[in-house]
Amino acid sequence: METDEELVKRTLSGETDCYGVLVQRHADYLFGLGMRLTAGNREFAEDISQQSFLRVYKYLKSFNPKKKFKQWLTGIAVNCYKDLSNKESQYLSLEVIDEPSYTPDLGGNTGFFELIKPLAEDERTIFTLRYVYEYQIDEIAEVVGLKSGTVKSKISRALEKLR
Amino acid sequence: MNQLEAVIEKEKGISYSQRDKDLFSSHILILIHQEQESKKFIRKLCLILFLAVGTLSLLFSQISEIANDFTVGLSDAITGDILTTVVFSYGLLFALLALLKKPDFIFS
Repeated sequence: METDEELVKRTLSGETDCYGVLVQRHADYLFGLGMRLTAGNREFAEDISQQSFLRVYKYLKSFNPKKKFKQWLTGIAVNCYKDLSNKESQYLSLEVIDEPSYTPDLGGNTGFFELIKPLAEDERTIFTLRYVYEYQIDEIAEVVGLKSGTVKSKISRALEKLR
Repeated sequence: MNQLEAVIEKEKGISYSQRDKDLFSSHILILIHQEQESKKFIRKLCLILFLAVGTLSLLFSQISEIANDFTVGLSDAITGDILTTVVFSYGLLFALLALLKKPDFIFS
């Protein structure tokens, strides 16, 4: 089986179908990450996944093959989550409506979704990456583009909120 | 804290799967292809616009010369060959029409 980095190389050389293999390989991972970040919103998670794959293709040339593809993909997905959340909140601020614009589909561990709801967007991201995906502090710092110290303090704040 | 750990442990055990992965993957590839095509189209459009603007600006810079040449040519033509040709053509046309009105004269 070809590695992600080899598939990236082949995609960049013009074999677009290889990107399809990469999409299929990581579709579940990105969807799962989206579900966890959005506290079980299936539609939102699918949007995040789709936007992430499109953005990954757009910036594929800038991928450093010395780094892990999955980690790079996670960083892009986190950024997509932030962008889409901002768009969603802008939309909600323009139109005052009683119901949310999407229906949460709590198909997974509802206990976890309820647990992370009080957390802010960045705390939720960092908490999920640290405790569910078991990323190291340095890796999270790289993914979210923050300093390690800031990541640590955000984790402590998140844990305080959850206690 | 134990309850928190239990919820996290449970979450780790859950795997989420994207619906219709084949369809999803094809959809992504189609979107990428569409974007590439629209970029190509915009690039072509820009090139055509650039060429069109270039050609037009060249034409406009020489428009007075072209207009002068055209006017001079037209006045020469009016005073010369075209006037004779027109008179001859209309004359011939009227003669033919007159003959057509008298078929006996032709076929007898």
